[in-house]
Amino acid sequence: MSPLRRAWARFRSHRLAVAGAAIVAALALAALLAPLLAPADPLAQPDPVALQNRPPSAEHPLGTDRFSRDVASRLLYGARVSLGIGVAAALLAVLIGAGIGLAAGLGTPAVDQMLMRGVDVALALPRVFLILLALALWEDAPAGAVIGLIAVTGWFQTSRVVRALVLRLRESDFVQAARALGVGRWGLAQRHLLPHVAPAIIVSATLDVGNIILLESGLSYLGLGVRAPAPSWGNMILEGKDQLLSAPWVAVAPGLALLLTVAAFNLAGDGLQDALDPRRNR
Amino acid sequence: MPTYLVRRVVLALVTTAAAVALTFALVHLAPGEPFVAGAEERFVPPETVARLRERFGLDRPLGAQFVRYVANVARGDLGESFTRRRPVAAVLGEALPNTLLLGGVALLLSFALGLGLGIAQATRSGSWADAALSTLALALASVPAFWLGLMLLLVFGEWLHWLPVAGMTDVVAGPAPGLAHRVLDVARHLVLPALTLALVNAAAVARFHRAAMLEALGADFVRAARARGLGEARILLAHAFRAALAPAITLAGLSVPALLTGAVLVESVFGWPGMGRVAYEAIFARDYNVITGVAVVTGVLVALGNLLADLGVAAADPRVRRG
Amino acid sequence: MTPSPLTPHASRLTRLILFAILLAACAPTDSRQASDRPSGGTLVIVSSGDADVLFPPSGAVTTSADISGLVFSRLADLTADLNTVDDAGFRPALAWSWEHADSLTLIFHLDPRARWHDGVPVRAADVAFTYDVYLDTLVGSRFRPNLAAIDSVTARDSLTAVFHFARWYPEQLYDATYHTRILPKHLLDSIPRERLASSAFARAPVGSGPFRFVRWDTGTLIEVAADTGYFLGRAKLDRVVWRIVPDLGAGVSALLAGEGDAIEIIPPRELRDRVRTAPDLRLVPYASNAVAYITFNLKNRDHREPHPIFGDRDVRRAIAMGVDRATVVRSLFGDEGEVPVGPTARAQWIWSDSVRQLAYDTAAAGRLLEASGWTDANGDGIREKRGRPLRFTLLLPTTSRARQDAAVLIQAQLRAVGVDMRLLPLEFTLFEQRSLRKDFDATFQARTLDASPVGILQLFASEGVRESNYGQYESAAFDSLVHRATRAPTRAAARPLWRQALETLNDDAAALFVFSPPFQAAVHRRFENVSIRPDEWLATVTEWSVPPRARLPRDR
Repeated sequence: MSPLRRAWARFRSHRLAVAGAAIVAALALAALLAPLLAPADPLAQPDPVALQNRPPSAEHPLGTDRFSRDVASRLLYGARVSLGIGVAAALLAVLIGAGIGLAAGLGTPAVDQMLMRGVDVALALPRVFLILLALALWEDAPAGAVIGLIAVTGWFQTSRVVRALVLRLRESDFVQAARALGVGRWGLAQRHLLPHVAPAIIVSATLDVGNIILLESGLSYLGLGVRAPAPSWGNMILEGKDQLLSAPWVAVAPGLALLLTVAAFNLAGDGLQDALDPRRNR
Repeated sequence: MPTYLVRRVVLALVTTAAAVALTFALVHLAPGEPFVAGAEERFVPPETVARLRERFGLDRPLGAQFVRYVANVARGDLGESFTRRRPVAAVLGEALPNTLLLGGVALLLSFALGLGLGIAQATRSGSWADAALSTLALALASVPAFWLGLMLLLVFGEWLHWLPVAGMTDVVAGPAPGLAHRVLDVARHLVLPALTLALVNAAAVARFHRAAMLEALGADFVRAARARGLGEARILLAHAFRAALAPAITLAGLSVPALLTGAVLVESVFGWPGMGRVAYEAIFARDYNVITGVAVVTGVLVALGNLLADLGVAAADPRVRRG
Repeated sequence: MTPSPLTPHASRLTRLILFAILLAACAPTDSRQASDRPSGGTLVIVSSGDADVLFPPSGAVTTSADISGLVFSRLADLTADLNTVDDAGFRPALAWSWEHADSLTLIFHLDPRARWHDGVPVRAADVAFTYDVYLDTLVGSRFRPNLAAIDSVTARDSLTAVFHFARWYPEQLYDATYHTRILPKHLLDSIPRERLASSAFARAPVGSGPFRFVRWDTGTLIEVAADTGYFLGRAKLDRVVWRIVPDLGAGVSALLAGEGDAIEIIPPRELRDRVRTAPDLRLVPYASNAVAYITFNLKNRDHREPHPIFGDRDVRRAIAMGVDRATVVRSLFGDEGEVPVGPTARAQWIWSDSVRQLAYDTAAAGRLLEASGWTDANGDGIREKRGRPLRFTLLLPTTSRARQDAAVLIQAQLRAVGVDMRLLPLEFTLFEQRSLRKDFDATFQARTLDASPVGILQLFASEGVRESNYGQYESAAFDSLVHRATRAPTRAAARPLWRQALETLNDDAAALFVFSPPFQAAVHRRFENVSIRPDEWLATVTEWSVPPRARLPRDR
């Protein structure tokens, strides 16, 4: 059996991990199909006086908020934001990290040292403080800016992992052989290194998504990131926090959604890590 | 060991300098000026704005301002807060201990909870208790801290009225209360915010620790010890725990930034008068000096945390000590 | 009160007798304790913001203004009526009488009993000094513009202060007394003017008001105590404490938990409802003096050409008619807020329910827009004209929940008539800056109004274009009406002129006056004699009292 098939078999045997992956897939599907699944327009305000803060009912499965907007619909559309930003930022971060890690691992010792010292310093900087500052000072940051900022401040761990892997693989037999045959660095990277580095990158990305989703929701909660009236889970909690006693569903639903989503990503990520990490071959 | 130490200290200094420079640049290059508006719907007349700019040296080039700032910081002068008209050092001096208190208690709590959880899981590996604890740890690692804080506030503060809902102390009029009373008062207010931070971090500690413990339990020297017939408990305590301790201490040091930033959200939910609150208000009010002051303090704290973590690693693991 | 320990063998009757004797013996002692004094009690105010400086010319936040109001005094004060025009609307404070020597001169006679909290008597030199400080550019007080008509303030003798005005107008007494609080010359004279706001005095002030400053624990609490020697009679309360809880929701929770006694105003309805159902608390409504309105920029960004959308009066009227303000107010405030009749609120005497306004009429709005050339040719729900969509951006501050909510509601309403209003929440500094620089299409402003309506000139008269008239509305008709109104010698004469001015603004749709929020203070039931003056909620706190039987432990 190829290592990939073995890994898949291991993953499949992990029931929780499979559950996590299934939930992630379901959430992604729900987010994509939001226009079809949502009972109402997330921005529609049918009656801001009579229908505000209604508890869950047949017509509004998760109740309405203080503008009489349907919470369930906003939850579905909010999923697009959270998942979209989470996955995009994680991918971007991991790509940057992999790139830097490869460059450090394959480069001269001087380049390696410089990059890694830079990573050491960057790792120690207060990440959320700097993102907060940048977003607060930027007048109307689009979603892309949020993704970019989160990615640019979150690739460091990946770069270290990739660099370590690359350094180890550099000394391995098949790489030496390829070198002897005259394969250039780029070809080396593509054919021989990436297949071994890819699993680590995938695991890193999956585990990152959860944290990034939490980070984005925190930023939205502080009033940065996605702004009203567009729904995001973080700004839904912000809107609902003053009505915890009178209309708790407005804040509780997005909180539970966040919990479920991040937990699913963590489970899937853990499963992937167990399945793909060769050190776990015991 | 000495070279290791020196390298880490240098790194700490560089990190702090980088954080300050970055903050300084961001804040001064961004649009918006600090003086036009106060905290509410009133504003400062233009001639006063011009005069204040001149007084704070904001009309000089950026590089000159930075040099001036660094020179002042070296002397311990962090400048004056525009919005509060007080020295930044005084403002931070009042807020920082509150955040340290919250963060410190949360760190200890999170470690107690996390280590306990990790050990409990590692020893019961495979049983239903392990599964239940795993679920709990997973939930705690996946929950947004500010939402957890809101839920705890709802349950313990509003529904049950067990604990106070805001601030750090109760108002006391009349003669000042005794020390014991004040300590108890702060402690009561500290419970919910510290618990929130601790729960969220405990999960990370537990997850990390469980993995580290399992890895240690499966490691060669432990297998050798098992082969020699040593009891399971002894193995646990003597070898695996010690080997897993180093990464745990590292995690403690690395938790410092997470706790500091978690503090921003948690302080906001609970009205705790700490640095997170000050930073948030300063960022929105464009209070440059306070923002860079916070960057300096945060940078130093994070650097110290890392330094401590590195030393802890070196102390616990002889392999590192040898260089 | 505990019974004394009795020997186990004493008979029940003996115990009862001893108990009765003890009870009788205790009673006189009780009456000598603090709780039976006629005055007493501690008012704990829950405030969402810390004071910045306790120096009246410079304090910019309401907490500072509240505290300065208790620690410092004015020469004369308004009554509950808030009549700023007639002299009869004022009552003596530091000055016990005044007279108009001629149309440009106002003379005040100080009450000889008035003292600073350090014992030094209040003198006319303090009054002259105070005005010098308020007008000094080095101090940079935001009240300077209000004092523009005052030429000089001199001390004729130790108890007589003379004000000279540049011109005659009915509100001379108002301007001479309302905007300033008298400062102690003997304590502040030696401090360089630019350092006054950051001086030690600004953190521990000495005034001449009914309360004296006690302490300030930054970020946590500020305490003042009744000045027992106050010359107009000591306050009925012993102490007022401001407890700072930054988050309003947490503040209300603190109030409900008994950790505080009063909050000035609770904007969100959910929180007010919680207070309403609390057995120990009472909601005390008072006339609102705040108004929120959307200013349209009538000129384009370059300040020369008319704005492509708002330069057209019919389009402005259509947009105003497309907004259901009554629903916005009801959704935000239930039955308690009000739709403003103009840039005014009920606390101002110019308010009248019969001011003519544009009705909510989406059909008429649609017709007006069609007639102006804005039609939805491509069926996307938004009107266009010559290829340009009917779309604009509304600036609003992130600090105001009510305005953000109102904006979301209005956005949906305008969408229904084919107008695309985009929202741009900005943090407050940036919001103010852009509004000031007139760099906007529309901006959602709010004002806490002074007792006098004269501020409207800053907002909508031509002369205000360089000040707060951000929308650059210029109308000769409006200018003429308000100038005549501010020169009318009595309030009765001024009222109809103000009404016509407001109607002009509404007809021209110079701005969209969205809501006037309800003002209700939450006060603990044990406080009696609670009245609230709309412009300054603690102006009459000297009359609030706590009867002895209702006192809590913290009142002692």
